[in-house]
Amino acid sequence: MLRVDNLTKSYGGVKVTRGVSLDFPTGSITAMIGPNGAGKTTFFNLISGHVRPDAGRIVFDDQDIVGLSSLEIVRRGMARAFQVATLFPSLTVREALAAAVISHRGHSWQVLSRFPLQSARARVDELLDLMGLISAADTLSSILSHGDQKLLDIGLALAMNPKMLLLDEPTAGMGPDERWRMIEKVRSLWEKQRITVLFIEHDMDIVFKIAQTIHVLKYGAVLAQGTPDEIRGNDEVIEAYLGTDQRLSEAVGEV
Amino acid sequence: MNLEALAACLTSASCAVTQISTALIVGTLLFLVAAGLSLIFGVLGVINFAHGSFYMLGAYFAFTAYKLTGSFIVALVAGSLGAGIFGVLFERLIISRVYGRDLLMQLLVCYALTLILDDGVKLVYGAEYRMMGMPAAFAVAPVQIAGAFVPGYYLFMVGIAVATGLLLWLAINRTLLGKTIRALAINPQMVGVLGVNTAALYAGVFGVGSLLAGMAGALAAPIRTLTPGIGFSFLIESFIVTVIGGMGSIAGAFLAALLIGFIRAFGAIGFPWFVEGLMFAIMALVLVVKPTGLLGREAA
Amino acid sequence: MRSRLRRDIVVGLILFFVLFFLPTLFPKPALRDFLIYVIAYGLLAMSLNLLIGLTGLVAFGHAAFFASGAYTFALLMQSGRTSIPLAMLAAIVGTTVLALVIGAICVRLKNIYFSFITLAFQMFLHSVILTWVSMTGGDQGLQGGIPRPVFFGIDLNNARTLYSFCVVTFVLCLAIMRQVSESPFGYTLRMIRDNPERANFLGVNVVRMKLGVFVLSGAMASVGGIVLALFVSGAYPEFGFWTTSGEAIFMLMLGGTQLFLGPLAGALLLEALNHYITIYTEYHGMVLGVVILVIVLGLRRGIADSLFAYVTRRRRGRRIDDVKRPILQPTKNEPA
Repeated sequence: MLRVDNLTKSYGGVKVTRGVSLDFPTGSITAMIGPNGAGKTTFFNLISGHVRPDAGRIVFDDQDIVGLSSLEIVRRGMARAFQVATLFPSLTVREALAAAVISHRGHSWQVLSRFPLQSARARVDELLDLMGLISAADTLSSILSHGDQKLLDIGLALAMNPKMLLLDEPTAGMGPDERWRMIEKVRSLWEKQRITVLFIEHDMDIVFKIAQTIHVLKYGAVLAQGTPDEIRGNDEVIEAYLGTDQRLSEAVGEV
Repeated sequence: MNLEALAACLTSASCAVTQISTALIVGTLLFLVAAGLSLIFGVLGVINFAHGSFYMLGAYFAFTAYKLTGSFIVALVAGSLGAGIFGVLFERLIISRVYGRDLLMQLLVCYALTLILDDGVKLVYGAEYRMMGMPAAFAVAPVQIAGAFVPGYYLFMVGIAVATGLLLWLAINRTLLGKTIRALAINPQMVGVLGVNTAALYAGVFGVGSLLAGMAGALAAPIRTLTPGIGFSFLIESFIVTVIGGMGSIAGAFLAALLIGFIRAFGAIGFPWFVEGLMFAIMALVLVVKPTGLLGREAA
Repeated sequence: MRSRLRRDIVVGLILFFVLFFLPTLFPKPALRDFLIYVIAYGLLAMSLNLLIGLTGLVAFGHAAFFASGAYTFALLMQSGRTSIPLAMLAAIVGTTVLALVIGAICVRLKNIYFSFITLAFQMFLHSVILTWVSMTGGDQGLQGGIPRPVFFGIDLNNARTLYSFCVVTFVLCLAIMRQVSESPFGYTLRMIRDNPERANFLGVNVVRMKLGVFVLSGAMASVGGIVLALFVSGAYPEFGFWTTSGEAIFMLMLGGTQLFLGPLAGALLLEALNHYITIYTEYHGMVLGVVILVIVLGLRRGIADSLFAYVTRRRRGRRIDDVKRPILQPTKNEPA
């Protein structure tokens, strides 16, 4: 679905992404991990068209997308949820989802009918159900709980019917129970909707349980990639990121 | 449009000098007002739509002080300080409550002050024209340059404005206080955490900004008639100057003010109704090509 | 959702009947005149709110389209070759084109730079009006009045007929603006107001949408100009001066930007204030200034918005207006 070749980006002399080459097969669920500042969010910005790479190729769904605007990339099927949920404060959950669906279907310019469009209603209900937001449907986005905000964030991305979903720290800022619920939701979405998922995470338990493949970034370059078992046993990764605490390894092994 | 008259003036040395001197004094007055505006915006992030009122206050205070004491120096000081004090009061009592609120609220609050002050002045001084007249110290024979007569007072004005501009630039770029103020513009929370009294600094900067406008008003008092509402035209033009020169840049304000001064002076001969049009056209051009202005920085 | 449309229609009809029959109940010509001013400036303010309140585009130069509508209409009528409906249509279309040209340049800039460049264009237009004396009469305005030939049996020389015509035009424009505001387009604009970057990530072409609403609001503003020109039988450069834009912004803030009819309430309030204050004192600026300070520092938002928030809070806690709607980032900003 997505292939990245030798992606490079510098900001004023600092190389934040160095020659990253990665492959994301269709229908896979991949995690990207690494210490802070490793360039994970920059990677997201590069592939979603928010930032232009200095060099390298990005092929999404068999199309070269370097140089395309983020708008065009979204239209081609890549959707994104953010580390800090950025929403529309004055719209309710239902309204925000409806607006997103309407935008996806190209009806944003409609002036002759009333919002929300009858045709969008079914899809909105579907999304509400999918994300578990039915009870919060008529709440203003700005007063949602943190967890619900992140769910809405993902819901908005899903409204785009994406082929690939980018999730930037979906469990950030949540307590342990909420985390598992969230990541379970992500996993069931992945299974049911059959989309390619790439998520950034810091919670290793979650990463090892859910991801099929893990890519490890450090200082902008790929340190290692592989299945959870491979990564767990990789010395370099342990040294750079995971730590050599025996208890951590055991706990992770148990899960 | 009278472009032949313009051409004729440009080729005549005496006419050219006269117009240049007009351009310079308009430019210096504008510079002082715009510098204050730019400072306030650069540090406080407030677009002070009431700035013209401080110009007006400076003129009226200078007028009163001169009538009372007969001394121009006292008048100049009174005008500047008076406006500065009003500025500090306005900042503490009203502006500080709208920091961080949206632009329209700030606009409204400043406009409200302008309305109140304009009528306040009308109440105290009456709506008729007042003239301060040239102070005795400057009632000397005008200087002759290239066949044109340039009043000595003009030279004095330009001198004061340039000196003030330099002083301001030095203060901001070469002193510790200036550095603190620049830091304040970039990250006020951090400066506050470092133990600096940010509220006092804010008030101080606003006071200096309005003082500059008041100084311009005081300097203009001998050569212009005083009526409530003289602040308005200066307000709009100082915005043009700030946009063209760059918000937050003193040097930019200087250049842009001179430019506008020249357009006013020569435009009055060549295209009197279109002077504003030209100024706004340049402003639009700058906004499209380099929105931060000729010498402006990217938003701090 | 159906009920919203029904409710809007009811409100619209009530507004229409009240405006239409008010002069019949109180037959003072002064009232009629007052209401026509409210209609003209109300259209200016309501159209501006499509930009400010709905999309978050703070335009300082909106009066340009008010003036353009007035002058175009007046000039066409003075030429003696068109009927009133045709001249109106032409003026609206002409202003739409103007708004398209100006908007295409302005809409690419953000925040305060957008505000200033709209002002620059407006004042430039104002200068053109002042300079082109042969066409516009310069600073004196258009002389000679505007003929009002009968059309479709309607004689606008009759004051009552003129008033009714203005009311009908007004309510029609309000209906159009309401429909746009409640349409998918309107909600997409709200998305842009709240979070343009995210809207972009959801496939919205932000620049094009901004241009669209800019053009529409320009067209609506021109209708206000036409009404005023028709009524005062002339057109004056003040229509395009920055103080007119300023008054419109006033009305928005006084009345409130989040409730649809807020700006109209603001227009009514400001016109009433202007009218009554000048009767009682010559220091009307001071009174107005104090009123503004009270509203801004005390209420913190427009009057209609405050009333609405108060009423809603007493009912249920869910759809409160206390949400901070970022109309404009308050401090320094980057350009486009």
